[in-house]
Amino acid sequence: MDTIENASRRKFLVSSASGLALGFTLTDPLGITRAEAAATDTTVTSWLRIGTDNSITLTVGASEMGQGSFFGLAQILAEDLLVDYARIRTEQGQPSLSNPAPVGASLNTVGSSIIRRNFWAFRDAAAAAREMLLEAGMNRFGDHDRSHYGITDGVIIHQPSGSQLTYGQVAADAALLTPPASPPLVPDRFLKIIGRSVTRPDIPQKVDGSAVYGLDVRLPNMVYAVVRHCPNFGGTLLGTPSVPSGMLAVVPLKVAAGTGRGTEKTDAFNAVAVVGPNTWDTWQAARRLGVSWTLPANAAQLNDAQFLADAQNLVTNAVPYQAGGANPPGTLYTVEASAVDANAQIAGAAKVVDATYTLPYVAHACMEVLNCTVDYVAGEKCDIYAPTQSARNVLSLAVALTGLAPSQITVHTTFLGGGLGRKAETDFVSQAIQIGMAIQRPVKLTWPREEDFTRDQYRPMALVHARAGLDSAGRIVGWKYRNISPSILGQRGIPLGARGDSQGYEASDELPYDFGSRLTEYVTHPSPIPVGFWRSVGASINTFCVESMMDELAAAAGFDPYQYRRALLTDPRWITILDAAATLGNWNSPVPAGTARGIAIGAAFDSIVAQVVEISGTSTSFSVRRVSVTIDSYLHVNPQSVEAQITGGVVHGLNAALYGRQTFSNGAAQARNFNRSRMIRLNEMPQVDVALKPGPSQTDRTQIIGGVGELGVPTLAPALANAYFRLTGIRVRSLPFFPGATMGEIE
Amino acid sequence: MPTYTLNINGNDHTVTVQDGNMPLLWVLRDIVGLTGTKYGCGIEVCGACSVMVNGQRELSCDFDVSSAVGKRIVTIEGLSADRSHPAQQAWIENQVPQCGYCQSGMLVTVAAAMNAGHHGNQIASELRNLCVCGTYQRIKQAIQKL
Repeated sequence: MDTIENASRRKFLVSSASGLALGFTLTDPLGITRAEAAATDTTVTSWLRIGTDNSITLTVGASEMGQGSFFGLAQILAEDLLVDYARIRTEQGQPSLSNPAPVGASLNTVGSSIIRRNFWAFRDAAAAAREMLLEAGMNRFGDHDRSHYGITDGVIIHQPSGSQLTYGQVAADAALLTPPASPPLVPDRFLKIIGRSVTRPDIPQKVDGSAVYGLDVRLPNMVYAVVRHCPNFGGTLLGTPSVPSGMLAVVPLKVAAGTGRGTEKTDAFNAVAVVGPNTWDTWQAARRLGVSWTLPANAAQLNDAQFLADAQNLVTNAVPYQAGGANPPGTLYTVEASAVDANAQIAGAAKVVDATYTLPYVAHACMEVLNCTVDYVAGEKCDIYAPTQSARNVLSLAVALTGLAPSQITVHTTFLGGGLGRKAETDFVSQAIQIGMAIQRPVKLTWPREEDFTRDQYRPMALVHARAGLDSAGRIVGWKYRNISPSILGQRGIPLGARGDSQGYEASDELPYDFGSRLTEYVTHPSPIPVGFWRSVGASINTFCVESMMDELAAAAGFDPYQYRRALLTDPRWITILDAAATLGNWNSPVPAGTARGIAIGAAFDSIVAQVVEISGTSTSFSVRRVSVTIDSYLHVNPQSVEAQITGGVVHGLNAALYGRQTFSNGAAQARNFNRSRMIRLNEMPQVDVALKPGPSQTDRTQIIGGVGELGVPTLAPALANAYFRLTGIRVRSLPFFPGATMGEIE
Repeated sequence: MPTYTLNINGNDHTVTVQDGNMPLLWVLRDIVGLTGTKYGCGIEVCGACSVMVNGQRELSCDFDVSSAVGKRIVTIEGLSADRSHPAQQAWIENQVPQCGYCQSGMLVTVAAAMNAGHHGNQIASELRNLCVCGTYQRIKQAIQKL
């Protein structure tokens, strides 16, 4: 196929005998890549193909991990292409390193970004394709009066003659045309597909076992590898064990450049893989394998008591950031400070409220464990099958490890059995490539559940110190907030600016409350336990602390927590969403004895969310009965899918708030499986009601579209803690509610 | 190496394994090639590996292959030939799956409960399989009519 780049519009055409193919850019959704590394991604990662057989195929570079955005893109496309959504076949695309895109500027499926960052690109591309097809049709009919034409589901109708041409019939002609510069979009009042609940095409294959996840990949002549890491973070392999009877190989595994976090240093051997004839026998051999490890000198410091002590010390002893300085862990960054000195305002306040909140490390625990299948032939090819959120990173990693050209590497992104941010990392992929290169045979690497839990890159632990002053009327005159947590970006070698780690302070800054004065700080905690992105990550930490503190202030001031927030909010969109949640959650209606409601509001990924949580019971045993969620994302493409994501986010938030915790001893993670890391089951599921802010009557390019996938999570924990306070009078400042909760066998 | 004949979804499969204690899960996935049955925890906590053995739900991650000989094994692939099982239909109608990884085990468990004559809320009250995506609300809706 010939490619003709049209750089001015960052689109290109692909002309082929089989029809029209249009390439267009998907913006890089990883905000931090742009913000922190100042990189831009101009790689074409999606393609629309209209075949002469009338087929319509959309190739998407994003990953599908249950969030539905993969198909939401097809839904957007259908609108301006003027075709039935169900006709669009969606294919998983290949990543590409071509074009002037710096390595690392990948198309990552993270940050609740796929729909919101690509909405207009898809509409424009669809409209351009439609216009080209129409122009080709007009050429055929020899009539260039647009008013003579109509399009219905991919059929161009020449109204004066009643003749018709399908998209497929004109696709080859259209491929020779130049895409229009600014094709008209379907006017808002005629939108038929965007904003409508449509069924997801992946559902049927997810009810009959035919959906292929990474762990389901099977290749001819494939063998099986099972990983065994040093149980202690920072530990390294002391000699490669011999190959056990019945096994094919033992492969020492090193930390590939760019994949190690914190304790895990590049080129250190921190694991071995056993290779054998099937998963079970190989797993048993890996369990029994005698392996010696060298523990790091600081192993004794890698425990929860030490992490807490370090955090407590940094409440007062952090060293301020120096521009151009080394700024080691323990550095204090000023995220935002009002012109009026918050410290002075608090010191002079009628009443001062001081609270310290702590949150633990939390694992991802995707249902599908980490895995990757590699078929490597030296000097020829490397095929990678991975449940990855970042296929582009996989490709650049494979180029670095194998020395092959990008064209010799194929990345097959499978369905993901959950991603949650963990599968945006590529440590497990690098291991599979190393094994494939060592044995030169197709091989599937599986992480047993115990490895998945103990070798995670966890949501960071955090200690937050909040302090606020109230005047005699209960108004806030000064707000001081300090988040102390290990830096996700720092562990990735990304230099932090004067404000610190955006992943660490997100949702603690620019809060639209009238605080009178404010000082928001972020301190890098020195713990080297690997940390990473986790469904809503920093927002889940900060929203718990901010909204718990707001509740404490309401109580100290003697106000209803809903009305108190409402009086202090300065953003009308926040007030609308808060009011809507209060209404949906029956905030003002009386509750029976033993029942209480809590409320919280927050924003993340450019969406605003409020929740009312209703619980019943006692201080030691309660059930979450109902969660009412309202969300303003500016617009919603598939309301049914949004509702599913918000409800799922509520469950994710509940799991973390009630039970989620990973602990460490000598750098070794203690919870090794679901039995020691409880999650809710169906019998603990509350009723969840979700109300979407009605879409605007006009879609407006200048408005920011918010994310959805992670938005159910952040406000759940504070609304729950606030309900618990109203039920029991006890303020929970340390999560989870039930540390160490276990989960029994099913039968 | 022992050889066993297993009746899976109505067909006999002869499998040879090194270890007669190999769990049925891995025999199904790696040797027979039926990957719809999932590995989740390996310790009978999550339910992703649920299959039916003689009509009853069993957790295949801890069910020795040697114990499965002479019994009727049904996996998600054998629930129906065309997604016509009422539970599958209810799952589609209610758009239950998100990532979908746990849903094979959910559906087999529900189907086994239906085999035992259970319905609706009774099935929901018994269902303990883990779903990390949190699809429980739609599962409850889907089960209502079963």
